[in-house]
Amino acid sequence: MSQGVFSYLLITLQPDNVIACFAGAMIGTLIGVLPGLGPAAAMALVIPLTLKLGPTAGLIMLAGIYYGSMYGGSTTSILVNVPGEPASVVTTLDGYTMAKKGRAGAALAVAAIGSFVAGTVSVIALQFFAPLLARTALAFGPAEYFALTVLGVVLLSNMTGSSKTRSLIMMMAGLILSTVGMDPIGGLERFSFGIETAQGGISFIAITTGLFGIAEVFEVMAAREKPLEILPVKFRELYPNREEIRRSAAPIARGSVLGFLIGLLPGPAATMASFASYGMEKSISKHPEEFGSGAIEGVAGPEAANNAACGGAMIPLLSLGLPFTPATAVLLGGMLLHGVTPGPFLLRDRPDVFWGVIGSFYLGNAMLLILNLPLVGIFAKLVRVPSRYLMPAILVLCTIGTYGDNTALFDVWVMLVAGVIGYVMRKYGYQPAPLVVGLVLGPVMERSFRQTLIISGGRVESLWESSLCMAMWGVALLAIFLPLVIPKIRAWMQGHPQNDA
Amino acid sequence: MTPRKEIVSSSVLILFSLTFLIYTTRYPLDDWESPGPAVFPLLAGGVLLLLAAWQLIRAFLAPKTSDRAVQKGSLVTSLQAFFHENQGEAKVFALTALLIAYILLMQWIGFFVSTFLLTILSSRLMEAKGWIKPIVLSAGIGLFCYSLFEVWLKLSFPRGILF
Repeated sequence: MSQGVFSYLLITLQPDNVIACFAGAMIGTLIGVLPGLGPAAAMALVIPLTLKLGPTAGLIMLAGIYYGSMYGGSTTSILVNVPGEPASVVTTLDGYTMAKKGRAGAALAVAAIGSFVAGTVSVIALQFFAPLLARTALAFGPAEYFALTVLGVVLLSNMTGSSKTRSLIMMMAGLILSTVGMDPIGGLERFSFGIETAQGGISFIAITTGLFGIAEVFEVMAAREKPLEILPVKFRELYPNREEIRRSAAPIARGSVLGFLIGLLPGPAATMASFASYGMEKSISKHPEEFGSGAIEGVAGPEAANNAACGGAMIPLLSLGLPFTPATAVLLGGMLLHGVTPGPFLLRDRPDVFWGVIGSFYLGNAMLLILNLPLVGIFAKLVRVPSRYLMPAILVLCTIGTYGDNTALFDVWVMLVAGVIGYVMRKYGYQPAPLVVGLVLGPVMERSFRQTLIISGGRVESLWESSLCMAMWGVALLAIFLPLVIPKIRAWMQGHPQNDA
Repeated sequence: MTPRKEIVSSSVLILFSLTFLIYTTRYPLDDWESPGPAVFPLLAGGVLLLLAAWQLIRAFLAPKTSDRAVQKGSLVTSLQAFFHENQGEAKVFALTALLIAYILLMQWIGFFVSTFLLTILSSRLMEAKGWIKPIVLSAGIGLFCYSLFEVWLKLSFPRGILF
């Protein structure tokens, strides 16, 4: 590592940044523990607060919330059988069973250690791959960016929710919403209906807090609250025994690599990574029958994978300026509000922010490991806070976060409408995540599409002429057609023709 | 998702995309050499329309299954079952109405006073018992938000006749 990079990494250790990292990690852990707000909505709410801190400390805080939530999610999965966020759903399978057998401490410790190791592995990889990709991305023209965003849309639709069509529909709705406001090329005002606040575009924070925060409050309200039983854990029980450590080491290593690679793909990377790791561990285990009844590998692998995925997901954001998950989309929104433009030039223009944020991952992971083990009992008790007191607080925070973004009441109306639509969408099986990503990718997609045509003098084939573009379009086409063809081939090979569902 | 829900949601999406596409024609398309501001919205709206139509067709072609088991019994029993099933939705409706009133009141009685009232009422709506705890909670949240956002972060919130 060069002297310059090292000095930039030391930026993380400045008092402001350490405090921001600590605050972000703590807020993230709380968000992960409490069912309700996910990391994307929590980050959106905190953005106005981070503006006071400046770009480096502000973004360190936002990143801390992102990876801190992954740590927090495991605590309630193991002790209460309630995942704080979707990436920890799979941890309930073996984590809660271990807790019922009196091994809650060991499960929590392995989850925390696995998260720490994976977080560190992913940061090391991020540190090397992000600048490499950023240099490659310098060769990207508008056509390549357009192909990349199309590829992102296609891959994301394959990986979110139960229906590809519904995911694509949500993505298109996001792209449509992104066209509200100034046209990115000519500056013509579109779809703002004369509303002054809408001329600058629909507030990203209002949409995010509405779809994730307000809709969640509605959903909690519609459901009936069940009393939770929290399994006890004592500090001295936190040490896993030698056998448990031995059995966890390889799943943590595999989960770290797998999670990092999945993090590079568009979609809810952390959730996909945890499920993929669980499936992999079960398939290669000598004792697959133990999975679901308290196998430590079923905790170690997925917990490592979901944390590594957070690091992986930062690569497309930092080096290409393209977020492929809702949380990184909010982080992009935060960066833009701080006057920092992520992408190939970030490393050249703002090395302090780039390396400061990367350095904070090391620091944050260490903080989380130290804090999570002794404070695990307190975090678990937070789940007992009844929703009748928690949800009104979330409502107020959502309103303040949304209003504070532009100090515009119109945004609060947008938040409410997004909340109602988000609630109805969930009832009808539509996920909000693709819409948020579409909303962020929209301006990049439109700008690159129109620029490509303008530069080439209207030649449509310029959208796929270069070898990079062809490769990306090829992968996108494969991603569309392979899922349609493979079941037919499989059915034909088995001699049982089946209808495409 | 049941075919009935799929048909309803697809129809709403088709209506929305058609309205959007018609409205988009107000903006210039220009030509391929210099595509105008209507091109991208038309593409996105067109793809949305196709996807929604595809989903609608699939829902119609799906094997007919009853969306819910046919409930035998009197009209009163059916109505009771309906209201029991949708108790949660009634609360969501009430909270939405409360939030609308909150946003409207915000400019009149001020942000912090209306927030204080929202917290109490929403807490009560979520089955908080008594008034003391919701009032204490509301005062706590209000004080915290005022200190953090208005005093420290210097964000300005709507002021009304009271505060």
